[in-house]
Formats: sequence, structure tokens, C-alpha cells
Amino acid sequence: MVDLALRMLLHDRLRFFITVSGVAFAVNLILSQVGLFFGLISNSSVIVRNIPAEIWVTSKNTPNVDFAQAFPEAYVQRVRSIPGVQRADNLIVTFLNIHLPNGATEGTVTYAVEDFQAWNLPWKLESGDIRDLRRGNFMFTDASAVRRIGAFQAGDYREVSGVRMRYAGRSLGATSFTTTPVSFMDYRLAQRMNSNLLEGNTTYILVKAAPGANIQALKAEIQRRLPHNDVYTRNEWAKRSDDYWIKNTGIGLNAYLTVALGILVGVVIVAQTLYTSTMEHIKEFGTVKAIGGSNADIYRLLGRQALVAAVLGFAIGALLTLAMEPGVAAIGLRLILPAPVWFSVALGTVFMCLLSAGVSFRKVANIDPGLVFRS
Amino acid sequence: MPVLEASDIVKEYQEGRNRTRILHGVSLTVEPGEVVALEGPSGSGKTTLLQILGCILSPTEGRVKVNGEPADLSDASALAELRKRHIGFVFQQFNLFPSLNALENVQYALQVKGHRGRGLKEEARRWIEAMELSDRAHYLPRDLSGGQKQRVAIARAMAGNPAALLADEPTANLDSQVGTQVLQLFRSLATDHGRGVLIVTHDPKVRDIADRVLRIRDGLIHA
Repeated sequence: MVDLALRMLLHDRLRFFITVSGVAFAVNLILSQVGLFFGLISNSSVIVRNIPAEIWVTSKNTPNVDFAQAFPEAYVQRVRSIPGVQRADNLIVTFLNIHLPNGATEGTVTYAVEDFQAWNLPWKLESGDIRDLRRGNFMFTDASAVRRIGAFQAGDYREVSGVRMRYAGRSLGATSFTTTPVSFMDYRLAQRMNSNLLEGNTTYILVKAAPGANIQALKAEIQRRLPHNDVYTRNEWAKRSDDYWIKNTGIGLNAYLTVALGILVGVVIVAQTLYTSTMEHIKEFGTVKAIGGSNADIYRLLGRQALVAAVLGFAIGALLTLAMEPGVAAIGLRLILPAPVWFSVALGTVFMCLLSAGVSFRKVANIDPGLVFRS
Repeated sequence: MPVLEASDIVKEYQEGRNRTRILHGVSLTVEPGEVVALEGPSGSGKTTLLQILGCILSPTEGRVKVNGEPADLSDASALAELRKRHIGFVFQQFNLFPSLNALENVQYALQVKGHRGRGLKEEARRWIEAMELSDRAHYLPRDLSGGQKQRVAIARAMAGNPAALLADEPTANLDSQVGTQVLQLFRSLATDHGRGVLIVTHDPKVRDIADRVLRIRDGLIHA
């Protein structure tokens, strides 16, 4: 079979290159922006999603996991007494200051529980033994903090909020949306270091449900017994934390605008090049009609050209995005692109290119085959 | 049965507020195996008549039959179907697909006409050979001479075995010697293959191969 659509495309290689480049650029723009968006947002709730607590109790109207507010730690006893609760523990999240060797001070968002292993905190260690946190003034800080607080390793000392602390090790993957370093220390130590706020107080209660327990019913019962607190399932709480940053920082709007811009660029470039190509080949399309071809034959031809541009453009755009990953990681960011995103962008690219070809469809629908008789 | 039959064809164009009549009730037939030359000065309506006979243009009044089938002049897709099955065109400007080689130009025409499979390639090759273009089968149109291009165009027009061949000034862009060779091809297509051939032309050499010469002037045919 003679593939006239492809041959026409390849006959003018510069135009073909421009078309495919336009699609690839649009795909790369969309994938990188969506990937960065997911990467940033995942930072805001990565800890919530890694703690095996089905239910979180927070103070009233806490906006996100990092901006914790205190409430009496004894409330945990009420939760423990509820049937269906397998385990409930207090969790303190508080800001402390690390004094750096260069004289600067850097904040750290610190997570403190009594039993780190029970709550899978931190879930990945680069060095050290998490049990050391119970032995005194020890802390873990995430390895990603190097960009903010400089090099550190297990055994180093730092002054943290006026207390001389020793690093027991480094965790991996524990991040915050604001890139503030994440640290871990013993629950009672954290209370002492921020005693004005935390003496006798906690900031969260983590709840693990008994096997087979109805999570929604358990949540409702905890809410009934702690009417001055908020109670969330893990997904609700993670989403609340994510939504806070999406709505309050403009990152969501920025992502939407960039995706829209990518689509616009793609549509305009593909539509423009396909339309110009159609106009240049108008006599050929007229010939197709004169020898008995129908509008549908020409639509198929243009549709195939759009499809080829979409498939090649997507492949190149996707490869460019993957090639960006090491560079993005080098500046402390992540591209997170789940399979549904790849699938949606691929489908969207095909749709975008076919939509662009639609402009040319209108033109060829009105071609007069008699034009082939004109010189 | 005539391969082309036009009866009382009238064609008018709207130009601003005025209606201009190009054809004033023209009738003609082309029989199988016959070469008919249609001559006339510029603006006489000969290309308009060719387009109407080729089911590309609908007349204002009149009837057209192609290979015995009446053309439904109000239905564009029915006209396209008639063109596909019964008519081959040869144009003054050749109108080959520049991105396809000679053989593929013929193959593509067969594809449009609904041919598929191995037979398609064989038929295309047969017509390329018939036009003595075997050694140029894989050349792109830009690498062919004017005469070779026109022979590819004739092969493309003949592919699918249409009953009628309509040619619009087929020798206008060719030198005298090549033009004569091309006209001989038309003659043999009519004689050897039984096609009805209508050639619209200014070229007096066409008379040498034509069975009949019709002259059109001011929208009327004068035999």
C-alpha cells in the first residue's frame, strides 16, 4: 500500500521536523510541569502517607501537617479506650532551630514519637540505628537537608534550640513541601525543647485500627469523644495537607496554566504547520478528489499525518522529560509521573493533533476538484 | 453504447448580479474506441464541458450519462463514485503526486479506486510497462521529463480500466515530438483497449489521431 500521508509529511522534512518539534515541546512542557507539581505536592504529605496510622487526630482547623498546634496529650487515653483501636500514640510535630557551623540558623520540622519503629518512622534510613533516639540527646535528620544545613553525618554535634544534640543517623525520603529539613527525635525530648508550648501537650494522635475495624465508624466515635479536635482518615489528612499548598501558594494555578500553555502551543504549532501544508498540497488533494477520492479519503490522509506527528512528538517529548530527571534531582526536586499521567498525556497529544487537523478538514471539505484544470 | 453522452447541457455562472451562460445546450457523445477532439478558443467553454462530462462540475441544465449510467448531478458523492469507476483524467499540468514515484502514483490511483493486494501492484506495473516507463518506475516526478510525466499521468488515468479517458490540453507542456508520441498513445488506447477518448486541445496535431473533431465557440458545438 502506498502511504501518501506519510510520504507527503516526509517530502518536506523541515516542516515535518517543525511539526514534531512543536508537539515534542508541548509534551515536554506538560509532562515536566505535571511531574514537578506531583513531586512538590508529594513532599507535603509524604510522611502522612508513610505512617501506618489509619486515623489522625489533630487540633481544630490545623491546615496541614507541618503547621501543627498543641492540645493535651492525655486525650490519647480517650482514644485508646475506644473499641476497634489497636494502638494510639501521640505525635509531636514542631519547629526547632539548628545552629550551623557557619553561624547561621536553619529551621527544622521535627517529628517526635515514643516508639518510632511502631510508626515506621523514618521509613528509610541511610545510616544509624533509630533505637538510639531513646538514649539521650540524639536526633536523625533527613539526608535531603544537606542543601539547607550543609554536610553532616552520624556522630556530628549541632546546637538545636539551645541544646547540644548529636546526630544518630540520617534518614532518606522524609521531606516537607517548603524544603525545610525534617528531623526525628524522642517524644519527651521534643517536649522539653519546646516546653512553653508542648509541656503536657501533643500535636497529633496517631491511631491504628484493629483488624476488621470499620474506619469510618471508628473515626466518628473518636470525633464524638474529642469534640474539640478534628479527626481525619489518612487519605483525608494527606489531601488536606496537599490542598493547603495547592490553594495557598499558587502552585496549582501555575501547573494548570502551564499545562494550558503547553496545549495551546501544541495546537497552534500543529494546526499552523498542517494547515500550511494542506494549502501547499491543495492541488494534490484536488487530484485525489478528481480521480474519485472522497472527502473521507482526504480526512483519513490528514488524520494520519496528525497521528504520526502525535506519536513521534509524544515519544520525543517523553524521552526529553525522562532525560531531565537527573538534572531536576540535582537541584533537590523530583519529577513524579504516575502511569495514568503518561497515558492521559499520550491520549491528549493524539486528541490535540487531531483537533489541529480539524482546521485543515474544513479547508479540504470545500476543495473544488476542478482546480486541477487550472494552471 | 456511448461511454460518454451529454444532452442539452447548459451551464451558467453567477458573476455579481449577472448570470453568464457558458454553454448553450450542448450535446455530444463519445463511443468506445473513438478519439474525439474538442477544439475552441480560450473562454469558449471547452474545459467547462470537459468538467461536466467528467462529473466534476454539475450543469445548470441537461443530462450526462457515463458508460450508460445516468449521473445524479445533485449528489457529489455519487459523482465521485462515477469518476472512480468509469473516468480517467489526464491534465495539462500532469498533477502527479510529487512525493510518490512513477509506479506509486499509479498504485495510489488504484488504491483510491478501491483496489487492494498483489493485483494492485501488478496492474500498476503493467500500465507503467505499457507506457514504456519500466526503467523510470522508481523515479520521482521531479526527475522525469515532461513527456515521461505525461505518460505516468496516462498510466494513472488508465489504471482501473475506466471506460472513458478525458484529457485537458495533454500536449500543451510538451515539445512537438514528445507531444506526437503522447497523442499516439491516446490513439492506441482507443484502438487497442476500446476506450472512449475526449481530448480538449488547441493543438492542431490532435486532428491527425482523432476520429472526429468538434469545434466549440460561444458555448455551442459546431461539427
